[in-house]
Order: sequence, then structure tokens, then C-alpha cells
Amino acid sequence: MSKSAILSGTDLSMKYGDLEVVKGVSLAVNEGEFVCLVGKSGCGKTTLLSLLSGLEKPTKGKVTLDGREITASSEDELALFRRDNVGFIFQSFNLIPTLSAWENVALPLFPIKMTNEERRRRATELLGKMELGHRIEHLPSALSGGEKQRVAIARALVNNPKIIFADEPTGNLDSSTGEAIMGILNKLHTEEGVAILMVTHEDELAKTANRLIRMKDGEIMS
Amino acid sequence: MTKELYYQKRRTLMSILGLSIGIALLIILNSLSLAYRQAAQVPLKEIGADITVQRSGDVPKDLAGAVFPCSAVTIRKEEVEKIEKLPGVRGIGTGLLLWVFDPNRAWIVLGIEKENSIGPSIIRSSVTEGRFFEDGKPEALVEQAYARQFGIKLNDIISVADHKFPVVGFVDASRAAKIAVANVYLPLKEAEDLAASSKGLQSVSPYAPGDVNLLFIKADQEKITGLASEMKGILGDKATVATPDSFLKLLGSLFALSDKFALAASLIAIIVAVLIAFKTMAGNIAERAREIGVLKAVGWTNRNVVFQLMSESVIQCFMAGILGLLIALVASFGLSFMKVNIPIPWEMSPTPHFLPGGGDQIFKTLRLPVHIPWTLASFAVLLSIIIGGMTGGLLGRHISKIKPSEVLRHE
Repeated sequence: MSKSAILSGTDLSMKYGDLEVVKGVSLAVNEGEFVCLVGKSGCGKTTLLSLLSGLEKPTKGKVTLDGREITASSEDELALFRRDNVGFIFQSFNLIPTLSAWENVALPLFPIKMTNEERRRRATELLGKMELGHRIEHLPSALSGGEKQRVAIARALVNNPKIIFADEPTGNLDSSTGEAIMGILNKLHTEEGVAILMVTHEDELAKTANRLIRMKDGEIMS
Repeated sequence: MTKELYYQKRRTLMSILGLSIGIALLIILNSLSLAYRQAAQVPLKEIGADITVQRSGDVPKDLAGAVFPCSAVTIRKEEVEKIEKLPGVRGIGTGLLLWVFDPNRAWIVLGIEKENSIGPSIIRSSVTEGRFFEDGKPEALVEQAYARQFGIKLNDIISVADHKFPVVGFVDASRAAKIAVANVYLPLKEAEDLAASSKGLQSVSPYAPGDVNLLFIKADQEKITGLASEMKGILGDKATVATPDSFLKLLGSLFALSDKFALAASLIAIIVAVLIAFKTMAGNIAERAREIGVLKAVGWTNRNVVFQLMSESVIQCFMAGILGLLIALVASFGLSFMKVNIPIPWEMSPTPHFLPGGGDQIFKTLRLPVHIPWTLASFAVLLSIIIGGMTGGLLGRHISKIKPSEVLRHE
């Protein structure tokens, strides 16, 4: 049985002044699919990721995420939609330096009405899955690069997202740590059935994905 | 919320300190202004009044027998009755001040009512030996230092302007108000007889029993200024009407000059402090743009972000308010040891200026009653919370407009 598209972008364009960074791109990611967006630096991959995840609105085109067209949504509607459906993993981890590992994981849950114990329980469970059960109270400054990224992955999972957007998740890590992180992402995809759209400029990493999409100068090549 | 404040210790301390100094200045300046106002009330409060009234007149032609000081001539009975009926007047006390020049002695004589909580009859509580007047008897109380100086003893008979009075008690005038002090105190009726029978006095300022030359008025606080001008209207240009405000002006201090000055100065202090706090917080929030981008990316709405920043700012400013209050408490404790000399105008000084020491300026010296009213303290803390809310709200609204995609692009 073929799976339906969890995410689709149709004829997406993004212009900054006269500069068109994304040019009429259309793509879809199916439920549970691991898609890699590959291309050189500056080709528009991160901008396309921002458009597809609702972090940014396209100049033209539309994005449908989990059956809902998000392009026309207000900023706050998009934020709430992201909170309920989307997880993010960034190259530079983007952890809050003043918060402990579990608090960083629970960050999307703070505006939601629930007890702090429940937030902590969910965060601790995920950190345990990331083999960071012993680091829950540590600040990001006390964690290694790989540990930080695992905390970021746990944060991306805390709201049980339907899709995870990963922007160069291994870009700041050494090769062996990067491999470990890719192992976690693969496991998430295969075992948990989470759809992943990952941006990378490394062909090696992209090989692990179900599908590879190449970008060049704001357009999809293949 | 507090974690961020703790993490940014230096900035947090800077903005807390900046604002707390402003809050402390607001409290101290207003407490000082209040203290000066209260101090200015003391000379009148001591005599149970809010307003004193005299009328100046001509200098006695001959310094012989009983005369009125030129600063306190006759106030007619009808004029007293008019004043008594003015709206806002809650009570009235009267006195009759005389200078009596006998061949071998000069007396400052004050005729007082037997019982009145307003005016010089409150000297009743300063009797140190003997007793106070009894009804209808021609008796005298003598100021104890004066009695000591001239060897006057209890039950002696003293002669004042050829009228004989037994001394029934001594009075400690040093404990009494600086105004309306005398060497000899007589029942008001006896002093009226002295005045009425003095030709010298009558030739300068016609007098009839029932008239007085000192008025002590208790009035509604908010009507004092208005009443003062109405009384001048009744008594004419030569009336001397003393109010707490007139004493405040005599103090000459910047704080005493105007409570508007204190308000303006404290407002400037607060504005400067708010600007310092605002600048520090703005710097702090600007540095957190990336962090705020993360919050928005993971699903925080603009409202969530503004609420978070506002909460941090309110906590910070509340702490500043409490610190400011503590600083002000310490400062006001120190300032409460300060002494203030309130000059008593010569018109209100009962001593003839041509007698030894009579020309000296009299002061009422007291410790400045600096204290922080709970209303001022609560206002200051509330103000700091409002400043926190507004600062956090403004900065939060501004920073929450950033696009997460702009700040989260990797380096």
C-alpha cells in the first residue's frame, strides 16, 4: 500500500529583493519517508527547508503539511502548527545555554498546560532513549557536540512530530559522532516511522536516505 | 524565568542596581519632603493649632505699665466670631499677650483660657510644681527659670501692673512651644482686666474685654491655605497668619520650598533609572535573538515570547524595587538623625526685641522626622513592577517580531 504525502510543496519560489533563492520548486515527502536534500552551499536548500517547515513564507507557491495548507496561516498559527506537528534539528544545535538538558528537551512543552513533572517525565524518557539519562541536569556547556545534538534530537521528538526537519545535523560534528547521529536518525525513521527531510551537502550522508533530491541554484535537479 | 536572570548576572545586576537607585531616590526625596512638611507643622502642632493669627500695630509710646507688643495688637471679639464661623475652622483658642513694664521689672504676661486643647492653655501639662488655675481666681503661674532667676517662690504674691496675684504653680516653658511662651501666665479674664485698665495700651490699640491679640486655630488640613487668606481678608493687611506652609518657607531648604520640586527631582531620577534599565535589558534581549528564534521555531507564539520576557523583566524590576526600598530605609534611618532648626518669626516671639536676648532669632530645633509611609513604599514597589511590565512588554513585542529563519541560519 503506497503511503500518502505528509508534506508537499508546489511551485515554491522565494525572492529576497531581486535575488531569487528558490525557483518554482515542487516536492513531496511521504509518511515515514527519509528524504535528503543535497546541494552545494548557497544553492537554496536551507531556504527551501524553511519554506517547507513553515518557518518562512514563500513569495509564491503553497505548502501542505499533514493535509493542511500552511502558506496562508498567520505567524502564531504557524507556531502552533509547528509545535504540534514538526520537529527541528539544526546544525548548531540551538540549545538554550541557561537551561539544563531536560529543560531544553521540554522547551516546546512549556507554553502547553501540563505539570512540570509531566514535562520532565517526557523529556527524561527521550533523553534516556538518546543514552543521555545521566546528563539530564547538565547545562549545554557541559555537554560534548554529539551530546548536544542528541539533546536537540530529543527536543525535536518531544511533541511526537509527524516530520522532522534536519538542517545539516552533522555539520558541526566530527565524522564518528556524525555517524552516530545519522544512526539515531535512521533508527527514528525505521523504528518510529517518523518522516525526515534532511538538508546536507555531504553525499555520503545522503546515501542512507530513501530518496535524494539534488538542488542547484534554487532549482531541483533530480 | 529566574535562570536567565542568573545566567546574565552582570547585566541583571546592572539593571537592578540602576533602577533600584532611581526607586531609592524617589522614596528618599519624597520622604524628605514629607519630613520637612511634618517638621514645619511642629511649632504650631505643639500648641495644638494649625494656624496662628496676630495683627501688628503701632509701637507703644511709653514702655510703662501693660502694653501690647507691636506685633500683636487688638483682635476684636466680632472678628474672632467671624473667623470662628469660617467653613473649615474646627476650633479656636485665644490668648492675650502683654508686656508689662513695672518700675523694677519687665514681665511677659500671657493670659490663657482655663481649658482648651487649642492654644496656650495646653501649658497645663507643663506645670512642674504647684497647680494649674482654679475657676474664677486671680492667680498666676510663673515660668520656672524666671522664678529661679528672681527668687519667686510658690504662694508668693507678685504684683503685675499694680494687680496682685498669688503664685500657684511653676511652668517649664522649655517643654512648651516656642511661640506663646511667657514669664507669667494669668487667667484670660485677669489679663483682659490688665489690658482694659492700661491707658498706655488703650491709646495705641483700643481694647475692650473679650478682645484678644493671639488666635490659635484648628482647621481642616486641606483648607488651611484658603482659610489663611480669608482671615487676612477679615483682619486686614496687617494680619500675620502663620501656617505650616509659612514655616516651610522659612526653612528655606530645597525640599521645603516645594513638594513639586521633590516630585520633579524624583521623576527625573526614575526616568534616568528606567532608561538605564531599559538599555541594559534591551542589550540583553538583543543578545538573545537566536534563543528567541529557537523558541518560535519550536512552537512558541509571539504572545508566549512576550509573556516570558515580560515575566523576567517584572521579576528583575520587582527585585530592583525591593532593593531600592531597602536602600531608602537605610538612608532614611541615617537622615532621621539630622536636626532641623525651624526659625520662629520675630512677630511670634513673645520677648521684646529691645530686652537682652530679645533680638536673637529663636529656633525650634528637632530631629527631622524622616520615615517612609507604607503608601509611598507600596507605590514605589508597584511602580517598579509597572516599569518592569512595560519595559518587558515593549522589548518583548519588538523582539518577538523576528523571523526564526533569519536568526537560525547556521554560521
